[in-house]
Formats: sequence, C-alpha cells, structure tokens
Amino acid sequence: MTMPSVETNAASPRPASRSPLPLAAVVIACALGLGLLVPVLVSSQLALTLMTQAVISAVLATGIGFMIRQNGLTSFGHAAFYGLAAYGVALNGKFGLMPTELAIILAIVLPSILAFVAGLGIVRLPPLAFSMLTLAVAQSFHEIFLRWRDLANGDDGMAVRLPSTLFGMDIAVFQQPATMFVVCWIVLVLIIGGLWLIARSRFGLLTIAIRENEERARYIGFETVVPRAIIYGVSAAVGAIGGVLFVLYNAFVTPGVLHWSLSGEALVMAVIGGARAIWGPALGSVIFFMFKDAAGDLTEHWPAIIGVTLIVVTVLLPHGVSGLLSSMVAKLKGKAR
Amino acid sequence: MIQIINGLVYGSFLYLLSVGLVLIFGLRRVTNFAHGGLFMLGAYISYAVAAYLGFWTGMVVSVVALAALGVLLDRFVFRPLAHEDAIVTLLVTFGLLFVVEDLVRTIWGKDFLTVAPPQILSGVVPMFGATFPVYRLFVIAVALAVAAGLAIWLRSSRVGLYVRASSVDPVTTGMQGVDTDRLSALVVAIGTGLAGLSGTIAGPLLALSSSMGGYIIIDCFVVVVTGGLTSFTGVFIAALLIGQVHNLGIVFVPELASMLPLAIMALVLTLRPQGLAGAGK
Repeated sequence: MTMPSVETNAASPRPASRSPLPLAAVVIACALGLGLLVPVLVSSQLALTLMTQAVISAVLATGIGFMIRQNGLTSFGHAAFYGLAAYGVALNGKFGLMPTELAIILAIVLPSILAFVAGLGIVRLPPLAFSMLTLAVAQSFHEIFLRWRDLANGDDGMAVRLPSTLFGMDIAVFQQPATMFVVCWIVLVLIIGGLWLIARSRFGLLTIAIRENEERARYIGFETVVPRAIIYGVSAAVGAIGGVLFVLYNAFVTPGVLHWSLSGEALVMAVIGGARAIWGPALGSVIFFMFKDAAGDLTEHWPAIIGVTLIVVTVLLPHGVSGLLSSMVAKLKGKAR
Repeated sequence: MIQIINGLVYGSFLYLLSVGLVLIFGLRRVTNFAHGGLFMLGAYISYAVAAYLGFWTGMVVSVVALAALGVLLDRFVFRPLAHEDAIVTLLVTFGLLFVVEDLVRTIWGKDFLTVAPPQILSGVVPMFGATFPVYRLFVIAVALAVAAGLAIWLRSSRVGLYVRASSVDPVTTGMQGVDTDRLSALVVAIGTGLAGLSGTIAGPLLALSSSMGGYIIIDCFVVVVTGGLTSFTGVFIAALLIGQVHNLGIVFVPELASMLPLAIMALVLTLRPQGLAGAGK
C-alpha cells in the first residue's frame, strides 16, 4: 500500500515558474523596504517585541513548510534543529571554543548535515512513521539538555555570553527589538527568496515529482533518496537559522527551545498559513501571533484555541490561508478576463 | 534483577497504551495523536471516581467512558476523514490533544495529583532479596491478560479475523463484505478503552498531570514504529524491549536514557525498515 502524499490532488505542479525572475526581485525589494519601514511606523516597544518573536518563529515555520511542500513529509520535531543551533551558540559562549561568528555558521551547518545524513535513512519511511520518528528524536534531544545539568544547567536555562560586536555590528543591534526586527525580517525575506529559487529550479521540480510518485520518478532514472535528504537538510538549516536569531535576540536558552510543543506550534503556524506557498508558513506565524495577542484574557485557554483552530483549518482550508488568498486572486484574475 | 522487573512493568504499561494505537492504525490507517490525551483523561476520570467509589469502580467507569469517546471519535473524526490524507487526521488528532489537555487543566488544575493503589494491591512482596510493590506486579498481570485476551479474540473469533484481515488490507476486506465502519467503531472503542485502562493503571504508578499524555505518547510512537505499525506481536515485543532499555538506561546512564529507545528503533529500522514484525509498507 502506498500512502498518498500531501496535496496529491491539489498538485497541478505549477510552481512559481510562471512568474519571471525580475518580478520576484521587485517583490523581494518591496518586502525588504516594508520591513525597514516597520520600526519607523511602529513605536510601541511591546508591539515590536511581539513582531520580532513572530518573525523568528516564522523562520522555523518556513523550514517546516518547505519540507511539507517539497517532500510531502510532516516534521513534528523541527525544534531539534532550532534548539541545537541555539544551544550550539550558547555552549560556545560558555566554553569559548571559537569566535562567535564561526560558531554561528557551524550552528547552522552542523544541524543541516545531521539532517541530511539522517534523512538518507528516514525520508524513505512512510509519512506517518516519519512524523513520529522526528518527534521522538527531537524530544530525546530535549531530554538530554534537560537532564545533563553540568552541560547546560538543565531546566533553569543558561545565559549566553556574546561578544560586544558581531559581524562588525554592535551586539545591541541584535538585542533591541527595533533593530533586531529589521535583521530578522531581512533574513526571513532572503530565506523565502532562496527557497523560492530552489523550488523553481530543476532540482526543486524533481523533488516535487518524487513527492507525487516516488516509484515513477525512480523508473525514469532519478535517484530519489538523496534529493529528499537534501531538502531535509535545507529545511533543517532554515530551522537552525531561526534558532541562531532566537539566541542572539534573547541571550538566554532553556530546554524549551527543543521541546516538542515548539515544533508543534511552528507546525500549526505552517498549517494555518498553508505550506503550498513558500511564504504561507510565515504568514501563518504572523496570524498566529496576532491571534494570540487578540486572545488576551483567553490566553489561559490558548492551547484549546490552537487545537480548535488547527482542526478547523486542516478540515476546511487544506491549503491554509495562503491557499485561500491564492485562489481568491486567481478568481479575481479570471473575472478580469 | 529488580531493575529488570521494573523494566518489565514499564514495558507492560507501554504495551497497554501502544496496542490501542496499533488497533486503531490497523482499521483506520491513522495515527491517533490524541491517544496520549485520552490516556490522560482516563487517568483523571478514574482519579475523580476513585475518590468516591473506590479504585475498581474508577477503572470500570474510565474504561467505559473512554470506549464511548472512542465510538464518537471514530464516527465524527475518523470516518469523515477516512478519504483524506493520513496526515490530515494526524493533525486533527494533534489539535484534539491540545483541547483535551486544556479541558483537563481547567477542570482539575495544574498541580500534580497522586492516586493510592487499592488496599489489596498496596503491599510489598519479598523478591530476590529485596521487596517489590504488589501493584507493579499487578501491572504486568494486566498487560499479560490483555495481550492474551486480544490474541485469543483476534485468532479465534470471526470479528477478530475481520480485524486481522483489515489490518493487512482494509480495502479488500471491505470489498469482501465486511462492514469496516462498524468494525472500526468497535476496534477504536477497544483502543481508547485500553487508553482508559492504562490511564487508571498509571494513577498509582506515575503522578497525574495534564502533560502526562503528550509525554508518554512519544515512547508509544517509538514502540509502534519499532514494532511495525500493524503487528500485534510486534508491538508486544517492542514494548517489552523498549520498556526494558528505557528503564535500564535511567538506572545506568540517566543523561542518555531517552536516547536509548531511539537507538534501538534506529537499529531495527536500519535492519528491517518495516519494523520488527511489520509486513512491508
């Protein structure tokens, strides 16, 4: 029995290849400019803090979404890469092994290599087994950092020692919401742009073909495991970038950054936003945070709210909010003609 | 030696919970993420009932209530989503887990609760030069009874035959004239009833908290994947194996204990991608 992949019927494989590159460049430039305007327009420190958190979570959600989009596999343990990157930077600060810039790069590269190597084995699993496995692995990393008190101070978390300048910028840049928002925003836009380029490349199309029918792709003569493992590595790298941003901003880590509820939350964001569009999960993250803010007094029942939202969105909007927007735009275009 | 029996206790407990997942997976081809939530709900229900009517009544009420919930779950969640992708149901039950956790937190609060074992099981017995709580032996006995009961039911009754057939190939079984919808209502009820049973049993064994379900479900997933998703024998062996490894890990290498079951799973999946007793994809 073969399990149908996510979005089987929806996948008229029509990725972004229709929109030409120059247009994309304009969109990216606009998005970057928009981000620069935000700190000018928004003066409330609280709102900026919230937005910075939203963008950092958006990076993680984008990583999960890309995996769903290209591989049809749902990771329930993406916080592992996020948390390992955060702890990587933190532990380097504690032991002073290498310059922080180098540590940051390694904190992104090593988890991706880990994901790639693990991916060679696990992308072949049935989707359900993959989900359960990623969850279990991520949770065991959480347990290690929780129990190994000598290494990372367990549940109490550890303050992270950071140098006074980083990549030639004052460290304060990374810790003030107004400036960090811009940094995170730029990173997010560049990631989405980069993933978009990957998705529309020949390689990106190949992985979609494999997602749709692995057996057929293999019969045509393609190697089908390595491409999927590469996608897993890329999506892990994106998650790790999120973790680095998190640790630079907060200068504090707890095992919570590895907990499965963080993976779960980011997955919920990706589902709400819709993973069919690369920008969907990021949109989902923004909606998630706005919603959380609006819930206000109800935050005590926040888990139930998330739960119900997740159920409603999965059942009624299988392509999430971004899918809804896309189909609305398509309808409008149809009418204009 | 005592540690090995302790591992057996944990393994038995994992089996009770995981076999419910396997039953549901067999019929509906879905992973019930809410299983941990139901288990926790079962624990709290029996806690509440046991306070007034005693442990045994609590157990019966919890099993019956959870089985009834299972019928509803099958009718209103699994059946409507049967033609959707398996991941859809996974996400929906994931959402249900959040809702159940919040519900329990609202009713019973955030504090840890403990349940005393019933009078008759509260003593200790001498064993291998030490003493061992009777209650823990009772856990093993229950698991063995459930395993034996399920095995007899699956092997010798007509319904059991249908369940086994359906676990191998639900579509063909349906085409042969078996009403898989009715069958799965029954099987899901048994699965969730077992979650209620293991919840009750967990009461005196672990502390009750609203996050206990999300926690234990991860170990169960490891067991189910290792066992091969649809195999009743596989899940039994895997549960005992993982329970043992987990427990010995906690005793000897506490920092890495959580990694060991995964290492076992990774090893099994590398050698046999279909799991210990799985029949391929």
